[in-house]
Amino acid sequence: MTISKSITKLMENSSWIRAMFEEGEKLKRIHGVENIFDFALGNPITEPPQALKEELCRMVCADTIGMHRYMPNSGYDEVREEIAQFCTENTGMPFTRDHIIMTVGAAGALNVVFKSILDPGDEVIVPNPFFVEFMFYIGNHGGVIKLVETKSDFHLDIENISNAITKKTRAVLLNSPHNPTGVVYNEAELKELCYLLDERRNKGQRIYLVSDEAYRKLLYDNTPFPDSFNLYDDTIVVTSHSKDLALPGERIGYIAVSPKIENERPLIGAMIFANRILGFINAPALMQRLVGRYQRNSVDIASYQRKRDTIYDILVESGFEVNKPQGAFYIFPKSPIPDDVAFIRELQKNHILAVPGIGFGRGGYFRCAYCGELDLIERSRPAWNKVGAIYNKR
Amino acid sequence: MLVSRKMMSLIKAQEGWTRKMFEAAIQMKKTYGAENVYDFSLGNPDVEPPPEVQEKLLEVVAHPVGGMHRYMPNPGYEDVRGQIADYLEGRTGLPFTSHHVFMTVGCAGGLNIVLKSMLNRGDEVIIPNPFFWEFKNYVENFGGVAKFVETKPDFQLDIKKIKAALSDKTKAILINSPNNPTGVVYDEESLKELANLFCKERKKGREIFILSDDAYRKLVYSDGKLPELFTIYDLVISVTSHSKDLALPGERIGYVAISPQVKDMELLVSSLVIANRVLGFVNAPALFQRLVAGFQNTSVSIAEYEKKRDVLYETLMEAGFECVKPTGAFYMFPKSPIKDELEFVTIMQQEERILVVPGRGFGRSGYIRIAYCVPLDTIYKARPGFLRVGKRYTKKR
Repeated sequence: MTISKSITKLMENSSWIRAMFEEGEKLKRIHGVENIFDFALGNPITEPPQALKEELCRMVCADTIGMHRYMPNSGYDEVREEIAQFCTENTGMPFTRDHIIMTVGAAGALNVVFKSILDPGDEVIVPNPFFVEFMFYIGNHGGVIKLVETKSDFHLDIENISNAITKKTRAVLLNSPHNPTGVVYNEAELKELCYLLDERRNKGQRIYLVSDEAYRKLLYDNTPFPDSFNLYDDTIVVTSHSKDLALPGERIGYIAVSPKIENERPLIGAMIFANRILGFINAPALMQRLVGRYQRNSVDIASYQRKRDTIYDILVESGFEVNKPQGAFYIFPKSPIPDDVAFIRELQKNHILAVPGIGFGRGGYFRCAYCGELDLIERSRPAWNKVGAIYNKR
Repeated sequence: MLVSRKMMSLIKAQEGWTRKMFEAAIQMKKTYGAENVYDFSLGNPDVEPPPEVQEKLLEVVAHPVGGMHRYMPNPGYEDVRGQIADYLEGRTGLPFTSHHVFMTVGCAGGLNIVLKSMLNRGDEVIIPNPFFWEFKNYVENFGGVAKFVETKPDFQLDIKKIKAALSDKTKAILINSPNNPTGVVYDEESLKELANLFCKERKKGREIFILSDDAYRKLVYSDGKLPELFTIYDLVISVTSHSKDLALPGERIGYVAISPQVKDMELLVSSLVIANRVLGFVNAPALFQRLVAGFQNTSVSIAEYEKKRDVLYETLMEAGFECVKPTGAFYMFPKSPIKDELEFVTIMQQEERILVVPGRGFGRSGYIRIAYCVPLDTIYKARPGFLRVGKRYTKKR
């Protein structure tokens, strides 16, 4: 047997996603890409900001000696300095470069964090629905994912979380703005959560709040984004520049550790070590230098908001039950029939590709990623209307 | 608890001497000035990427193509993998296609996804000793067990010892040639013997892979010869990076190449896709995938490294050190003239301001590793120091 048992199991579990993906590709071949309304993939078509592209060109032209060599595993000092300043601006807290570790995207960052804090059997609480990769990132390092159902509007259910905390709870992993629901947690619910965690802390149990903020800059309708650093001491933020600077293929992100974590040095030391032994070694050099200067920039949020408005309007008009997302580029409507996989097949028949909610731990829903062309979203309207007319009779 | 117990024990296992050494080195550079400290401790080459690579990079970023920074399929760009497959086919005569090539976040990333794909808890991976310490961590990341097998006095593979180390749990042997820390290139004869041994084992129903870390593959000197492993054995997975040959270590770009003779290839590739995703690599950096595709036959100047090798080796001989002459990579692994090499490393540091790494960092006490990927001038400047410690501590032969 060439392949390990654990990987075989992972492959079996994801085989239906693959089948679905292949079916979508087949439809594109038969009918032409422009006639298939692909809401399945979270691969934004947005280009990086023009200024960033120009800066990249300038950096390569300048051809500084040593610019492609190894640097300290945590990343370049000056880049971490720039990011620390940005974190200080956001929080008013005294971040220094020693609180920042550059990583191979947010996915790399989460693996580094969990490798550093989890012992076998340690539990990580994750609100459900959830980005299913979280389960693997936790499981990779012997951790156990504890899924906790959210409220009907996908906001945190504090009582459920409270009931799920045990002596083995090591972290709560949040993702806001949220994939797949587009929800942004508000200050009140985060404060309640942090109050719970503080109670535990007073009893001597350290529970980390791990906050995946990859979509942080993608906020609509002036929705405020409460900073976890200001709400809870033992906070670790991971992020990437895949969405805000549209660099997903380049794998660049970072970990920021709260300056309020007492004696944080061993934790940071462990993360730097994990970055090495997991095989990341360091975040890609050229991209580190590039993103350091663009912490305050982002792609055009207004254009994402127009897409959000359009798809929301179409779905409501077609009779779907759906929460209006406040951030990210996902929308998570209720499936009109309980079997979301069957419904996705129906959508395919109408040339719409989406992902069943079961792929995010919540059957009976489906996810649409609206990071494609606005025109394509608009053109999908009749198809949605048609499906809606059949399934959403009231 | 701030950090997991598991992590704490891993860190403590290596912290002892490395930290002390590292801090002493920093202090020393502050006191005497970096140029007066001869640092042979790091495998961070001082060379720049070949000019044609730099030109190509400029061309790519000066004429940006829409979508060039987006996600691509997890194994990497199809055309990039195709170009690398063509190179591999030309090199080996075997029918490589893009399906056999998987772009990775460097060699370290490549090894981690291969091991994640292959290892069940308790599976054993044979590692010839001395070895690159990270190999142990990579194997243990996935519940594997590293079984160290001593090499011969000239650091070539000891097939008898490898045979004795085989068990029902043996999944693979992980080799690195040219080798870090010894600079040795495994000869064709011993690799053929290894292949023979594994073929016999297969008849008993035991399938053993050779995982070959080929990061230093192009750094072979005029007096060395690197055998083509793909044509010697069928179950070969080569993992490599462009950190050394194209001098791009900070950019984290490499690939896994699976022998076209591996029957379960598709299954293996699907599992690499999953491993690459769940371990958080997702894909190799987009820009550098595009860059390296066309430079499979390119390399930094080998002649310069060979010159450095010659000067250093000659210095060590003159100083009376006992050392296997390396024919590749940029490391030398002489015997420590006093038994406790940690003590000798400290002496070199304090008396001559020469920084090297104790052999125990590579599983072999009583030796020292010298990384000579430094300016030639540094080697010349350190020469009197090497000669002085040699005079004091080595017995003239």
